Amino acid sequence: MRIGIVSPYSFDVPGGVQNHIVDLAEALIDLGHTVSVLAPADEDADHPPYVVPAGRALPLPYNGSVARIAFGPVSTARVRRWLARGQFDVLHVHEPLTLSLSMLAVLSSRGPVVATFHTAITRSRALAAAQGLLQMVVEKITARIAVSELARKVQVEHLGGGAVEIPNGVAVAKFATAAPLPDWPGTGGTLGFLGRFTEARKGFPLLRTAFVTLARRRPGLRLLVAGPGHRDDLYDDVPADLHDRITFLGLVSEADKARMLRSVDVYVAPNTGGESFGMILTEAMAAGAAIAASDLDAFRRVLDGGRAGALFRTGDADALTALLDDLLDDPARRAELAACARSVVGAFDWPSVAGRVLEVYATAIEATDGRVLDAEWAEPRPGA
Amino acid sequence: MPGMWWVVSAVTLIVVLSAYLVWTAHRVERVHRRAQSATRALDAHLLRRAAAAAVVAERADSVELYAAARLALDAGPEEREAAENDLTRQLATVGLTGTDDAGRALIVISRRVVLARQVHTDLVRDALTARRRPLVRLLRMARGYERPRYFDIVEPVMPQLPPASRPVAVPAPAGPVEAVAHL
Repeated sequence: MRIGIVSPYSFDVPGGVQNHIVDLAEALIDLGHTVSVLAPADEDADHPPYVVPAGRALPLPYNGSVARIAFGPVSTARVRRWLARGQFDVLHVHEPLTLSLSMLAVLSSRGPVVATFHTAITRSRALAAAQGLLQMVVEKITARIAVSELARKVQVEHLGGGAVEIPNGVAVAKFATAAPLPDWPGTGGTLGFLGRFTEARKGFPLLRTAFVTLARRRPGLRLLVAGPGHRDDLYDDVPADLHDRITFLGLVSEADKARMLRSVDVYVAPNTGGESFGMILTEAMAAGAAIAASDLDAFRRVLDGGRAGALFRTGDADALTALLDDLLDDPARRAELAACARSVVGAFDWPSVAGRVLEVYATAIEATDGRVLDAEWAEPRPGA
Repeated sequence: MPGMWWVVSAVTLIVVLSAYLVWTAHRVERVHRRAQSATRALDAHLLRRAAAAAVVAERADSVELYAAARLALDAGPEEREAAENDLTRQLATVGLTGTDDAGRALIVISRRVVLARQVHTDLVRDALTARRRPLVRLLRMARGYERPRYFDIVEPVMPQLPPASRPVAVPAPAGPVEAVAHL
């Protein structure tokens, strides 16, 4: 199958949607399909061979983060050229309701279009105001995928359409086999956190409170933090004598992320909301870490109702402290959580997720043609 | 010359208006064509499901399942929805495992029925939304197209994919059904 994928966000900066697209493209290529990814990106930068850069993008604040997107006449021309050259059987756009390459591609497309919705925007003035434009975009989409139950609910409520729920995939093998960082996790207990610790909804202050309390009682306890942000923002609210017990890695590459997750005893996800899926949880599960997470709906689902990771009341620092206290003292419980996590995460492995995405591609193509294809489309086709 | 301006504005207005009308007519045509294609695809998937179910029924000697599959295949447009619902119910009681080829093929097709129906519902909704637009109603732009209908069946449960081993051959609707019919 010839598949064209469009990323709304720039490949020059890392991000969840970008990673999703790269992993999906690679899984599809492994299954024998031809894939081209159009993304805002610097032409001179180093990209995988299947990525077609569409030029630099403008930074715009969106949904609490900064998104780098491209929109305008030059981008439109590039999208059209790419579509004409690609002759795709199916066009797969991500987040088509943002002003982006994705929206341009949908409006310029003539064939079957599959759209994936990542964000769970609970209430958006932009959505309500631009209903006319959005209806035009929606009318061109054939099949919709939502990466989480929450994202699907937004679909149903705001756009009145259904969506197939297919979770984010995770490259399980890459995480399961990574080597821990030297000297980690050590024997005194190690907690881990990955993400924007300055962003309120990621809930880092809860973990900081819990860590400060626990570190007083446990002389060997250490905290490993990775993510974008300035180190001063991380250390400023921590008593000076505990600074050497917190290690800050800064922004890490995908490979270092896997090593970081392999280096902790307990991975902590104290998010207070706004998380549409909990990608990092599946990665921590694949890496074999025991997980302590706030009991958000999305997290509860990923963690199989709490079997594959321990849950605490969202936003409750005392509950988190107590939970971590228990987990650090109980290696058997940690091993049990990790073992369960490893079996649950199999459903999120990219080959199986890509197979489900291919079913949706085939459905979209058939709904456009009115003819039913051979079922082998969803299977590897060597040499295709 | 004020008269000149009137002419220019009127011509501009007419050009813009007719461009908008042509564009809207295209849009109405497109959403209807899409809904029709989706209906055909859903129809084909339902036939495949019934055929695959008949094969499974034959292997398992299940009279009820075979009867439900046969009724779904033969149902006219009026009783189609009820017949497909019956088949869905029968399949739920059978409990698909996907341990043999026929069962695995049936699971693969049942999943596609769920997806095809989802897409069909969305595309029909888009077409109905387009028909409701005031301009479309006023100029009766949709009169050349049959009003798309939702296919109103209970949501079939999406069975788990069978463990991927090798490509699953899906029987064409005609072949296996005849084989069963001659029993």
